Amino acid sequence: MGEEPLYLEPRLEEPLRSLLESPGLLHTLTNALGSPLNVLLPDRIAANVERFRSVYRAHHLSGQVWFAHKASGSRALLRRLAATDAGVDVASLTELQHALGAGFTPDRIVATGPKNPPFLWLAARTSVTVAVDSRAELEHLVSLVRGHALSRARILLRLSGFESTGVRVLSRRSRFGSPVANVGPLLDEVERYGDAVELVGVAYHLDTTGLDEKAVALEGCLRVLEECRGRGLRPAAVDVGGGFGVSYVDEREQWERYTTALTDAVLGTRPPLTWGGHGYGLRNEGGTLRGTLGLYPAHRPVAGAGYLDELLSRPAASFGGRPLAALLLEHLYDLHAEPGRALVDQCGVTVAKVLEVRADDAGAQLLVRLAAKADDVALEDHGVLVDPVVVPRDPAGGRAGDGPVAVHLAGSLCLETDLITRRTVFLPRRPEPGDLLAFANTAGYCMDFRATRAQQQPAARKVAAWQEGGSWQWCLDDEYWPTVPVGGTQ
Amino acid sequence: MAMVSGRRVLADRTRGGNAVRYDSITEAIGNTPLVRIDPAVHGLEHIDLYAKLELFNPFGSVKDRAAWNMARPHLAAAVEHGSTVVELSSGNTAKALAVLAGMHGLRFKSVTNRMRVPEIKDLLLLLGAEIEELPGQSECLDPAATDDPLTLFHRTLSEPGGDYLHTDQYFNPHNVEAHLTGTGPEIVKDLDGRAPDWFVAGVGTAGSSTGIARALRETDPAVRVLGLVAAKSDFIPGIRTIDEVHEVGLFDPGTYDAIEAVSADEAIEGMLTLNRRCGILAGPTGGAAYQGAVRRLGALDAELTERQSAVFVVCDRVESYIGYVRERRPDLFGRPPRRNSPADLSDAEVRAAPAIGVADAQAWIATGRPLVVDLRSTFAYAALHIDGSVNIVDEVFEELLRGGLPFSRSRPVLLACPVGEKSARYAALLTRMGHPEVRSLTGGIVAWRDAGAPLVRD
Repeated sequence: MGEEPLYLEPRLEEPLRSLLESPGLLHTLTNALGSPLNVLLPDRIAANVERFRSVYRAHHLSGQVWFAHKASGSRALLRRLAATDAGVDVASLTELQHALGAGFTPDRIVATGPKNPPFLWLAARTSVTVAVDSRAELEHLVSLVRGHALSRARILLRLSGFESTGVRVLSRRSRFGSPVANVGPLLDEVERYGDAVELVGVAYHLDTTGLDEKAVALEGCLRVLEECRGRGLRPAAVDVGGGFGVSYVDEREQWERYTTALTDAVLGTRPPLTWGGHGYGLRNEGGTLRGTLGLYPAHRPVAGAGYLDELLSRPAASFGGRPLAALLLEHLYDLHAEPGRALVDQCGVTVAKVLEVRADDAGAQLLVRLAAKADDVALEDHGVLVDPVVVPRDPAGGRAGDGPVAVHLAGSLCLETDLITRRTVFLPRRPEPGDLLAFANTAGYCMDFRATRAQQQPAARKVAAWQEGGSWQWCLDDEYWPTVPVGGTQ
Repeated sequence: MAMVSGRRVLADRTRGGNAVRYDSITEAIGNTPLVRIDPAVHGLEHIDLYAKLELFNPFGSVKDRAAWNMARPHLAAAVEHGSTVVELSSGNTAKALAVLAGMHGLRFKSVTNRMRVPEIKDLLLLLGAEIEELPGQSECLDPAATDDPLTLFHRTLSEPGGDYLHTDQYFNPHNVEAHLTGTGPEIVKDLDGRAPDWFVAGVGTAGSSTGIARALRETDPAVRVLGLVAAKSDFIPGIRTIDEVHEVGLFDPGTYDAIEAVSADEAIEGMLTLNRRCGILAGPTGGAAYQGAVRRLGALDAELTERQSAVFVVCDRVESYIGYVRERRPDLFGRPPRRNSPADLSDAEVRAAPAIGVADAQAWIATGRPLVVDLRSTFAYAALHIDGSVNIVDEVFEELLRGGLPFSRSRPVLLACPVGEKSARYAALLTRMGHPEVRSLTGGIVAWRDAGAPLVRD
């Protein structure tokens, strides 16, 4: 290989790191259960809850951490979470059933997102908190509660369209939530429907990495809560949604070197770094770079619980510059957060078997075909670029002369576009058929969110794994309960 | 060079010091001094290093030239149509355009995703600018989405009914021209008709570096040009990173003999040298240019046998960047220790602070009539508080205590904060200051609420 390899090595923490250092187990599992295979690490989700809790504690805030269930369909993760004190945010009828069945009591469930009648009914019937998206949904809920003689429904009002003062902070338009500018008539209805609904707080969820936008929204929610109190309502909480992010790539330098090289490749000042010269949203117009890099910021110095901490530390201009956390505390509001991706950070890995390694015509790059479809490893679909880890079939078989290689990763569909990634991936050594490629940190959105059964190929099976007495144990995802590990029966 | 009634008048501050009278502030744009840096400061033995002091421009920066040159041809039409002047700028260009727009009765809007210096934001608002910040990247990314914020910005400009004067500083050739016909020739004139051997500038819009380099090379094609960019994970106001410069239409890598990265630390170090040792109140961009110049030239200096000259650009002034510098170099703002500060209490003192639980506090309020001081913000106090309490926000309370005890020693005091942490600190402090009967409400207003004790709203 003529050029310096541009690695994007994954951030690996325990117990994911130990799992990837157990090639025997990973090969046994894929031999038995097929490729691709998703391995979940349920104990890690409990550790992640604790990280969020510690941010709450640092700011003396009470309130709940709700796992945004849509990030992962794993039963093991949800059941392990049920054994903690965290809650779950469900966005469909099946997710609600799953949460109830996994052991979450209704006080630990909040129903969000677009809802169909059975979903709304089951939520109201079981007294789950409902994040109400619009006036129409509020009216629908009220008619269900009254028509079926249900007990008063606990509701959060999801708001959108927050305005800032001074500097105008623009935000992408959202399909969800009621415009905060028209909150008055909405609160009139909440008061009028006092027999059917009880307002427990307000919520927002912004799809952005921008802290300023979220700070504007949180400040806007505080003002609405004050209006509620002025009307004699008794709201107790602000739900700040999720979007706290995950850092996938371990080293900042690697990410910076790679993105600079990608820019140079698009401008034609270095050889392409992608299949067919794809620019990930960047293009070259007469020597000037145009477009926007359509990639997730794969290395993030501040993500997850740390991001929540930064948000809470922001000053609120319309409240005399007090930090948002201090305002929540002083106003006696609970803080609700709904991390999805961030709560399943480091909670899983997708492994796929190498079927074929072929040199291209020029011999410079290798084409590696995997026993997995691109939608089984949906990192690329979410704009996440990160290297897989090679798990050799025969760890003892030394291939001393082998150096780094540049490869393209192809999926198993009979389709030109079925590439695991369009990026040229640099691996520290040439993979061989029978080796496994392990895609780390796929539990959030990148395992089952987009997986299909195209060409009647099976979707990946899921297993849960944990360490007990120094060795790895596992079971099928469906079979996992908090009682299965020996420690769990105590 | 300024026009007065058709005569060309040199605003020649650098030589004669003649008083110059203008009819409009815009005539004061340009003709900035070129000042030699004392060799004892930079330590170069064979190179004369000069600073082109663009901070002398009337609105405070090198961008005054470009803003005026880009806007001037279109102002009459803009006034006629009542257009809004609009630019993607996070700093000095916005500042200059805000002033120019205001002088002509036009609105100015700055759209940005890079405005990270709070003082500049406030200054722009003060000058009457509107600021729009572009949204951050989507967290649940759709790689196929095409609605990046800049595309949306350009779409807004071309919408029917929208009347905008978009100065387009990253692509507008008038930006370069301002320096090709102004800044560059001024340098040559001040060096007695010669171009310097080296020219060093930070690359932002690339307007000044491109224009000046071109003018200097017209005099002497051998001029070497060093472009400075920010290190990739760093932020220096007014300079782009190595990736970001490629997004600039005016940027042509061929302009520069070398492009080198400068860190924010180096920029501040250079700024301090200019501020403290040269009497030049440059901002961090000027500091980056100085530091980048000395770093590069220092490596060559020893091998030189004949004298050479170098010019770097000082873009703007230090005053707007106090917050930026404080964040990175808190050590520069060391302040003398204050009296009666809760910060100098020991943990033992705080632990020993007199405290009282909710039930006892309720009884004490009924019988002992303590003054109840609520340390939370006015907004939280207004929403709900203990009946009869007084609100003194913690920040104000801290200021008050610096002057001494604000209560009579004969008046018992109950301090309340959200969770009993701050109130314990202040109870310890008041005790240390000699107050005999002060107590902290254990668990704070939160515990008070949780115990079901009454909170009122007046």
